[in-house]
Amino acid sequence: MGAYIIRRLLYTIPIVFGVLLLTFILFTVVGGDISFEIAGKNASPETIKEIREEYGFNKPLFLAWDSQLVRHFKDALTFDFGRALDREPVIDKIKRGVGPSLSLTIPIFFGEVIISVSIALVIAFLRGRIWDILAVILCIAGMSIPYLSFILFGQYFLAYKLRLFPVFFSPDLSVPQYVALPVLIGIVTGLGGSVRFYRTVMLDEMRADYVRTAFAKGLDVKSVLFKHVLKNAMIPILTQVVLAIPFLFLGSLLLERFFGIPGVGYLMVEAIGSRDYFVINAMTYISAILFVIFNLITDVCYALVDPRITLD
Amino acid sequence: MANILSQKDFASRVFYAALAAVVVFIIGCGKRPSQSPSQNVLQHRLQDKVKTLDPADIGDVFSDAVGSEFFELLYGYHYLKRPYEIVPVLAQDMPAISEDGLTYTIKIKKGVLFADDRCFKNGKGRELDAGDFVFAWKRLADIKTLSKNWWIFEDRIVGLDEFREYTKTCKKPQDVNYSCPVEGLYAADDQTLVIKLKRPWPQILFLLTYTPTAPIAKEAVDCYGKDIASHPVGTGAFMLKIWNRGSYIEAVRNPTYRGELYPSEGEPGDREAGLLVDAGKPMPFVDRIIWRIIPEDQPRWLMFERGDIDIIGIPKDNFGQAIASGRELTPKMKERNIKLITILEADTFYIGFNMEHPILGKNKPLRLAISCAFDRKKWIELFYNGRGEIAYGFIPPCMPGYDPNIKQYSKTEYNPEKARRLLAEAEQINGGPLPEFKLTMQGTDTTYHQMGQFLKMALDEIGLKVETEYLDFPTYLEKLRTKELQIYQCGWIADYPDAESFLQTFYSKRAPWPNDICYSNPEYDAVFEQAALMPDCPQRTELYRKAERIVVEDAPGAFLYHRMFYGMYHDWVCNLKINAYRPDGFGYGFSKYYRINVAKRDEYWKKYR
Repeated sequence: MGAYIIRRLLYTIPIVFGVLLLTFILFTVVGGDISFEIAGKNASPETIKEIREEYGFNKPLFLAWDSQLVRHFKDALTFDFGRALDREPVIDKIKRGVGPSLSLTIPIFFGEVIISVSIALVIAFLRGRIWDILAVILCIAGMSIPYLSFILFGQYFLAYKLRLFPVFFSPDLSVPQYVALPVLIGIVTGLGGSVRFYRTVMLDEMRADYVRTAFAKGLDVKSVLFKHVLKNAMIPILTQVVLAIPFLFLGSLLLERFFGIPGVGYLMVEAIGSRDYFVINAMTYISAILFVIFNLITDVCYALVDPRITLD
Repeated sequence: MANILSQKDFASRVFYAALAAVVVFIIGCGKRPSQSPSQNVLQHRLQDKVKTLDPADIGDVFSDAVGSEFFELLYGYHYLKRPYEIVPVLAQDMPAISEDGLTYTIKIKKGVLFADDRCFKNGKGRELDAGDFVFAWKRLADIKTLSKNWWIFEDRIVGLDEFREYTKTCKKPQDVNYSCPVEGLYAADDQTLVIKLKRPWPQILFLLTYTPTAPIAKEAVDCYGKDIASHPVGTGAFMLKIWNRGSYIEAVRNPTYRGELYPSEGEPGDREAGLLVDAGKPMPFVDRIIWRIIPEDQPRWLMFERGDIDIIGIPKDNFGQAIASGRELTPKMKERNIKLITILEADTFYIGFNMEHPILGKNKPLRLAISCAFDRKKWIELFYNGRGEIAYGFIPPCMPGYDPNIKQYSKTEYNPEKARRLLAEAEQINGGPLPEFKLTMQGTDTTYHQMGQFLKMALDEIGLKVETEYLDFPTYLEKLRTKELQIYQCGWIADYPDAESFLQTFYSKRAPWPNDICYSNPEYDAVFEQAALMPDCPQRTELYRKAERIVVEDAPGAFLYHRMFYGMYHDWVCNLKINAYRPDGFGYGFSKYYRINVAKRDEYWKKYR
């Protein structure tokens, strides 16, 4: 396994370089000169020139030791993303946003996985009965209703009308207080798709011969579901779950914006709206690296949960 | 059978377990927000984030509004008097102006202290002196600062442009020597600032009320370097406590603030409106200010209804909940003692034509045809709930210099039949059918799409083909600058209460910004240049009107509307007087004038929060 991990880590090098090259082409070559964004509406040509010098936009794009491409690689590999359009270091923005984002996305992630896997197990067990049919209808309904509707409804009824939660972020609220409603909404909106997916996975297992055998030899429901079915369903669950982890760091764009949670999702929306390439570039790069790492973790986890899989 | 029984048993166990989990979650995490009595805090809201608190870098309305609470300026507007009157703030008096209008001598108030900050010796703010203005304005000129506000003083002050040239020769920001003398900008002594202008510039007083001209302590710039944007060290009534970028800002009372007095006189009706109750009392009245950044309409509206925001502009989608058909507050709002504020804003929005475009710029009947195609009344009703007035020229009715007779010169009318006739004439001038034009909207959200569709349908109706393009604002600005646009949304909001602020947007030497339609007419330029040098007088007003008529006649834009602000505030906010230039209730350092009736707010919170 060690050799496999090392080999996979080595594979990440060309992937990271590919991502860097792609972000450079997208944001610098295709995106064009952002000196105007930095300079503001009333900037004189000489200010633009100065900005180009200061940020190195006057340097050649490729094929020089001090080219913009080389600098882009150097800055990314040393995690020096420079300053955003509002002159704050990008890395400070990301560091500040990760905490609030994770306080929102981690409970959503675990809540959604635990609840949806549990519900999927139950309804797979009750397949064909009214609970199963009802759950499938609710899943489809949940998947069909736009995400924004859940947010608007939850904010209006649960927070404003019923006063169960705060309407919006406030500095005097504790973290559990201000993330409670967004977490609830995040879990509920995700349940439809997840429950359907896990139900299908569970049903595939439930129909297997070993389940019938287990019941036939007199094992109770709990043992069959949790010791046999769940364990055998772990491969698709792991794929779904581990690959979702990198996205936790990206926060939730809409929830953060509507509930005023100062996370990286909100930061990303703002950066896109104001064409702050420094922030977008950093976020894209970090997300790509996280994705590569968690992909590797997924592969390792496969081997851990299923002895039939050998990584070498 | 055994299997069926266990299914039922299992299902009920799971159901009760899930129910218990939901109850525990709601009780545990979703605890109701505290009902404790409110403090003496002013609760503002912002629709967008504050980008910077460095005066040299401030280029947007939200940064300016928040920055104005920390930084004071030489001059400001009298809080109560109308028409708007400039009064000294950090200056002792109005400036002494030489007979030729070129030299301004300004005495600085004594005893004004910078807020305590670690950049000063022992953390104690020192006394403000004239040198702080010289330093701050040289910073605007310094190319290494990359200031967004050099345009204020560009080609205005003797020697300052040369200082800027000198800074270009420096390799690093640290190499710039701020002690280099500038002939037209110096401190004659600690309390005397002298400004020598290249030519008369009466509007300078308006610019001296603008946050980027605030004095800066050199110690702060030296101490914080590039992070100065997060450390606003000023002389204002408040000082920054927390700035969680993109989320909220908290300011607290500056303990060393000198306690300016609330004005003792206003305009007729102010006393009856309770605006002089605090006359002569030292300000500020509140201990803290919180600005929450709430970009979405629904949470902003709900926060206001709950009493978590004190003042609000009514969002479009909530207009029906706030305003009844008679244009007054709905019974629900009245029952909550919410107050309505309405004022016509100092702005003009129009559809601009790129006057350098080979067809649009040379074909006046085409421009007039487009102007006649738009049903402005319907536009205002559809997109602004009727909150606006049709624009007949570019000077808004609330501004001094407005021409009450502009309607008779104006080309603003909705007449599709006439538009078709003009279009036929335009085709003749063009020597054949007109090509398809591109209509550019300065936003990408649903409202902009609806607006684009409205305009396109109007033009389709008269037989003019257009393709609609939706750009995010930075891309729109870039295309404006490179003159790539053809027919596009434009608008201007007054920077100061002088129509010159609007006139400059049609001056050929200011193309492509702020003259973003690249209008050029030597006759107009001559009138503008003459008027721009004159102090406020009837002759200047006449020139302003003449200039406006020239533009209206040339129709470089189809003038659409002026916005009407509809806002509300809770009755616990005392001393709020609406200002057409800051109708949202913040900016110009207004927060120090507001007093909060904490008992009233507590009562409201008990009922509605």
